[in-house]
Parts: sequence; C-alpha cells; structure tokens
Amino acid sequence: MFKYVLRRLMYIVVVFLIGSVLIFSLYKSVPGDPARLMIEGNKANMKPAEYEALYRDAVKKLGLDKPLVVQYFTWLFNTLRGDFGYSLTYKMPVRQMIGVPMKNTIMLNVWSLLPVFAITIPLGIATAVRRNTRFDSTVQVITIIGYSLPFFVIALLFIFLFAVKLPIFPISGVQTPGLRGTPGRMFLDKLYHMALPLLVMVFTSLGGLTRYVRATMIEALSMDYIRTARAKGLTEKVVIYSHAFRNALIPFITIMTGWFISIFSGSVVIERTFLWNGMGKVIIDALNQQDFAVSLAMVMFYLVLSLVGNLLMDLSYGLADPRVKLN
Amino acid sequence: MAKKPLGSTFTDVLKTFFLGRQRATLSILEEEQVQSPYRTMFRNFREKWSAMLGVYMFLAIFLAVFILPIFFPLDTQFQDPTQQNTRPTFSYMKYDKALQGNVASIDGGSVFGVGVDRDGKLYQWGTLSAKLQKMPPTDKRYVQASAGLDHAVALDADGKVHTWGNDRFTLNMIPPELSSRKVKQVIAGHQISIALTEGGEIYVWGNSNLISIPVPKDKQGTFTKVVANTTLAAAITGNNELVILSSRETPFSYIPSEIQGRVRDVDLTERSAAAVTTDGRIYVWGGNDYGVMDIPAHAQGRAIAVSAGRGHFVALLDDGSVVAWGRNNYKQTNVPKLKNIVSIQSSYYQNYAVDKNGRIHTWGLKGYLMGTDQYGRDLFVRLLTGGRVTLTIGALAVIISAIIGIIIGSFSGYYGGKTDMFLMRLAEVVNAIPFLPLAMILSAIIGSRISETGRISMIMVILGLLNWPSLARLVRGQILAAREQEFVTAAKAMGITEMKIIFKHILPNVITVVLVNLTLSFALSMLYESSLSYLGFGVNEPNATWGNMLYGCNDSTVMSLYWWRWVFPAIALSLCTVSINMAGDGMRDAIDPKSIGR
Repeated sequence: MFKYVLRRLMYIVVVFLIGSVLIFSLYKSVPGDPARLMIEGNKANMKPAEYEALYRDAVKKLGLDKPLVVQYFTWLFNTLRGDFGYSLTYKMPVRQMIGVPMKNTIMLNVWSLLPVFAITIPLGIATAVRRNTRFDSTVQVITIIGYSLPFFVIALLFIFLFAVKLPIFPISGVQTPGLRGTPGRMFLDKLYHMALPLLVMVFTSLGGLTRYVRATMIEALSMDYIRTARAKGLTEKVVIYSHAFRNALIPFITIMTGWFISIFSGSVVIERTFLWNGMGKVIIDALNQQDFAVSLAMVMFYLVLSLVGNLLMDLSYGLADPRVKLN
Repeated sequence: MAKKPLGSTFTDVLKTFFLGRQRATLSILEEEQVQSPYRTMFRNFREKWSAMLGVYMFLAIFLAVFILPIFFPLDTQFQDPTQQNTRPTFSYMKYDKALQGNVASIDGGSVFGVGVDRDGKLYQWGTLSAKLQKMPPTDKRYVQASAGLDHAVALDADGKVHTWGNDRFTLNMIPPELSSRKVKQVIAGHQISIALTEGGEIYVWGNSNLISIPVPKDKQGTFTKVVANTTLAAAITGNNELVILSSRETPFSYIPSEIQGRVRDVDLTERSAAAVTTDGRIYVWGGNDYGVMDIPAHAQGRAIAVSAGRGHFVALLDDGSVVAWGRNNYKQTNVPKLKNIVSIQSSYYQNYAVDKNGRIHTWGLKGYLMGTDQYGRDLFVRLLTGGRVTLTIGALAVIISAIIGIIIGSFSGYYGGKTDMFLMRLAEVVNAIPFLPLAMILSAIIGSRISETGRISMIMVILGLLNWPSLARLVRGQILAAREQEFVTAAKAMGITEMKIIFKHILPNVITVVLVNLTLSFALSMLYESSLSYLGFGVNEPNATWGNMLYGCNDSTVMSLYWWRWVFPAIALSLCTVSINMAGDGMRDAIDPKSIGR
C-alpha cells in the first residue's frame, strides 16, 4: 500500500513535469509581448526614453531577458510556491484575484450536489428495478433528451421561463449591485441570484447521472450474490438497498472524482450565461483580455487537481472494494 | 441453397437503413434458423421505437442541412441594417383584399407596406411596430402614402401631410411651412420624410444627423418629382433636369451630361442611380455592383418609368410590360408575366405593379421563414448552412479522435506492459484537464493568427485531439479481452504479423462497440463545438454554426423581443443531438444481448 502510494506520487511528479513543459510552451507561443502589455497604459504620457526604460524594467521584472530554460524553472517554482503570476487585466497577483471567483464556484457546485443526488439515486434505482417496463423506457427517453440538450439551450430556456416571462429570478449576476446590509441579508441575496444557475446545473446533471446509477444498479442486480440473497428469502427491499445498492455505489467513486475537479473548475457555459463570477467566467474573461498567465495558471492547477483526484480515486477503490488490490 | 435472410450482413443492415424496410417472406424453416449476430442486433434495434425515431429524425436533419443550402445559398458577407430583427412572417406584400382592383397609391417599406384605395381609405400590412399600428385619423380622404424604414407618411386630398410610426429624430414634427402650402408628393425614407409642394418646393424633416438633404436655394420652387435612398435624394425640375440633393461629393453626382434636360423619371438604389429620358432610354450610373449596369437590351428606347429597391431596378415599358435587373438575392428581379401595367413601385426588396384595372401584382421578398438576426440576415438560410458546418465539424472531429483512439487503444491493449502504462497515463492527462477551458485556451492562442477557414479546421483538430481518451480506453478494454482468445493464438502460431493481428483479426470483433461509442461522441463533439462557438471561442462571424447563432442571446431584450433568434437554432441543435443520442443508445442496447431482458 505504502509502496503503491509512493510510486503513484512519483508518477504524478513525472506527469506534472511533462504537463508543465507543454503548458509553458503554450504560454510562450502566445502572441504579443507581455512586458509591453504590462506598461501599455503609460505610453501616451511619457517621453520615449522614459518609456524605453520602463519597458526594460518590465522585461527584467518579468524575467523575459533570461534564457528559456531559466524562465521555465523560475515559472515552475513560482507556480509550485503558489505564485501563479500576475494578472494583466486585474493588475494584481492571480492568487489574490481568483479568491472570490473560487468561492463562488465552490458554493454553486456544492449546493448543486445535494438535489442532484437526492433525485438521481432513487430514480436510477427505481428504473433499474423496474427494468424494461413502460416507466423505465419513458425515463430512459427523457434522460436521453436531458443529457443531449446543450447546457446553454437549457440555460436560455430557463432564463426565458423564470426570468423573462415570469420574472421570479434575476437574469444574471452574483449580487444586486450596490447592495449593502448585514451579512445575513447579503447571503440571502446571493442565494437568490444563485437559484437559477443552480436550477440549470441540477437539471443538466440529472440525465447522465440517472442513467449511470441505472447501469451500475443493473450490473449489481445481475450478480450471483443477489440471487443468493433472494434465495435466502430476504425481502426485496433489503436485497435492493442493502445488497445491490451498496455494491452499485463502488463505480460512483469515478463520478465523485469528476465532481471533485468540477467543484473547482466550474461550468464555463453556465457561468458565462448567468454572468456568475466564478472560475469559468474568469477563464473566459482572461482569454478575451489576452491575459494568458491567468488561464494557464488555472490549467496547471486543474492538472494537479485531477492527478491528485485520480490517486484518491484509486485509493478509495481499494478501500471500498476489497477485491481491488493496489499494486 | 437457401436464400440469405435479410439483415444477415452488415451491408444489409446499412441498406435497409437507408433504402427502407424490404420485407422478405421466409418459410417456417428459414425463420427457425439461427440468426446471425448482425441480424439479431438489427432486429433489436428496429424494435426500439426511440432508436428508430432517432434515426429518422437525424436523417431528416442531415438531408435538410446538406441539400437545402443548394437552393438557399448563404452569402456570408451580406448584411442589411434595414432588415434587422424582423420576426418570422410572409406578410410583407400581403396587402388588404379591399385594395385589389381599387388601388390609388401603394408603397413598400422595409418590412411593411402602405396603400390608399380610390375611395381615399388608408391601409397598411406586413410587420408593424406598436407605433406604426397607430394610424392617422380615418375621417380624411387620402390620396398618396409612402412607407419608410420604420415610419410612414400619407397625403390627404387637401394637400395636408400625416405621419405615423417612429416619432423620434423629429420625424413627427411636420415643418410649419407646409401648413400654408398644398403638398403633392410625400416620401418616407430612412428616418427622414420629404414633401414636395404644388409650388415645386421640397421640405425635408427627420434625422438630419444621419442624412442631410440640402435643397439648393436657386432650384427651390422648380421641382416636379423627388426620390430618396438611405443616404441622399434626387429631384427632377420642371425643365427635366436632374439634381442630386446631397452635401457630399458622391458617385451619384456624376450624372451623365447628355441626359440633363431630358430626364423623365429617376430612382436610386443604395449605390447607383437610374434615369429614364424622354426618348425612353435608361441610363445607370454610380457603383456597378450586383449587375445594376446590365440593362436589358430590349428595354432601351421603350422605358417610361423606373423604380428602384435596395439593389435592383425595375422599369416600366411603353407596352405595359415590366423588366427588372440588378441584385436578385430575394428574387426581386424575377418579374412575373405582366401586361397593361400603368405604374410600378419598388422599394427595399418588395415590388408592386398596378395594371389599368387597378389590380396589384407583387414579386420579391415576402418575408422570412425564421426572421432575421441583428444584421438583417435571413436566419433560415443561416440555420441550414450553420447546421452543415456544425455537423461537418462534429463528424470530422469524431473521425480524428477515432483514428487516434483506435490506434492508441489497440497498441495499448495488445502490447500491454510499459507501452500500455505510458499510453494510458497520457490518456489520463488529456482526460484530466477540464475540456472546455483547455479547448478555449488552445483556440484563443492558435486561432488568433489563422484565417477564418483555418479556424474551422482548427476547431475540428482541437476537438479530435482532446476527445480520444475515452475511445482509446474502450478499445483497449475490448482488445485486452480478445487478445487471450484462441483465434489470436492461432493467428500468432501461423506467423501473421502483429499489425495484421491487431487490425485485421481483433479489431473487426470489437468494431460494433466502437461504432456505438463513435455515434455517441459525434453528438458530444457537436455539443462541444456549439458550446465553444456559443462562448465565442469556436467558429466566428460571419460564418454560421448553430452555436454561434446563439452567441449573445442571453440578453433579456433578445430573449423576450427577438425570440426567433434563439428559439430556432436551439431547437435545431437540440433535435440533432437528441436524435443522434437516441439512435446511439438504441445501438448500444441492440448489440448488448445482456441488456435485452428477454
């Protein structure tokens, strides 16, 4: 076990290094001179000589005068230290800048977990148990439609229904502009703004997850131990919820890893549509503003996150399923 | 030997798919025969109604977006601000029945029309804004009416002017000078109105910031006719001279000198002017585009009147027939067979001709099936071409990812060991980074330095390059299972090369599973492409895809007022992905005997 973890960690380091070289080469192939972008606003009210001096300072400050290898290692160590670079649009360090969006994204995603699981797990189990009935095939078709519809189409539809036709919710934003009040009131206002994106997020997750639960449940129900349990004369309820469902939960670990990453990365489409100030919107804004340091730092972050997530997934498989041997 | 039952080979399945169901009568013996796996799959598939519905829906969409654009070609460069955000309708020339056989004056506006019958009653039709619906008092007897961009002007029998519709830019403020004069002609133009009095004076009011129409002092009082387009106006004086009313030097100013003093009629398109002289000849000058200079030869010397739309001319000949030439994007020069015509009126893309019995004949733009977008482009045409782009990108992206996925998956599964370890870790890394952000970054970095066509291929490659891991993993799993089977051992023992074993012996055994996966990832690729385009990182304007048609539609104005701009692309995209997924899901169930609970 210990040896396995150690080996996996070493492998993570190797993959991370390969990934970081790729990301760094992407970063370097970005068109435009970051040093010029940094001092851009000053050009108009400066003498050419002063501007040149400032430009040289900026080059030095960004380390652009050093060889590429040195630049790479400086960048790598800075990233590892948590210094993700300097956002040219926000004029502040990336780490400082992404604090609020990260909080917003985590909030939106964590809140969506509960309703999603509360709906999909019972529905998935019910369709698996009543397999090939009219109920099952209806749910199957509905869930196909559910997961085939593009996120933004659902988002547009929900905006149209619940913000334009029936003005219950605000169309977009995180907070009512200019609102000041007690923390409780601010929180309620945020929840009110979160309602519609949350609704869309839950709705879009239902289809795929219900089908996944159904598939794993059918797999579990076809096992020999289910026949044994039934032969023992256990009630159907015990067979389904105690014997089958627990085993069906094991493949769920994979899904959970996906969730783990998306909690931090957020949904680009939903955040863009609802102008929700989260990580997805930060990436879009950064790319629109040619602020590549931010977006690539974030890709780096996701890479680490998913590598760690995959390790955790494998380890938890080992814990959850005694048949899985880690080596 | 017995006839092979239908559906026993893969080709048969495809044939039945595309050519329809061919019933073969089988004897009892044949029906009792063991079915081939393909036949079982096909039967399972056909019995699932949702799968068949998906296939038919997808085929319908596929045929529509690949065949219909031949008949409705898209001109990506075309824009027309006068047609922007118009709702789906075909009523632009659906004049009131009461006008037929009884018309005194008729005119077309941008997306509507106005007319006056011989009894002095005023009518209007087409797409009418809330302001346009407030028509002037009905107790007056009207003699002439004119429609503009979003307002209309009418003249009553007392020579008084009435205006309704858009009332901004002082359009509703009729000059006080007109109250003491008798007006004989009114024009509603592009946010301006022009009145010509019996005394030959021209008065202009409206948005003078947009168009300024100066009237030369020395000519004031001599005019007999005035016409206007969206930038300037032209007038004919009593001694048949032509005057361009513009404060700037434009191509319109170069009036052919030989026609001065002989001009009988004139009209203006957006970039060119046409005049008819007293001897019936037609002269065109200004910008030569859309073939406005190609005057039909038989019309020369016989023309008595000319009228112009946004880019085309219509001329009335002395025998009562009508010819048209110039831009033909909305069939505005396809004149039906007409005779005994006494007057013609063309404006924007509509044409009205009135014969001597007062009957109205129309041709040109009736309206738009799905409305227009913010640049005045026909959404239906964009939807068709956009669908073709979306489907093509999705298909090619899947092909790219299939090639990569199958090769990597096969090698990984067959060789195992270090190769497997390395390739699968690679797949893990590609799979690990959230898809859309990575695709967006690649598109933003690479896309800034290539052309728009290159951009479309780049999107395909990016989608293909990021999409292969799931397929590679699937192929690997299948090959791992097949590798240990006897036929592989036999093939190895016979000394067949490893490449041949992988791609000729093992791969055909797992191809059905791969096909199902490809179908599902085709839908996924389309979703990714449209998401990228929706976010502004995929295919950009002026090229159309279903995703970028929805770009900027999350706006309350667009959502509520211009619903057709998001409803139609959203429906098309959703129907397409739903149908592909239904078919793919049916295929998966059909090839997996375990999933059929019988």
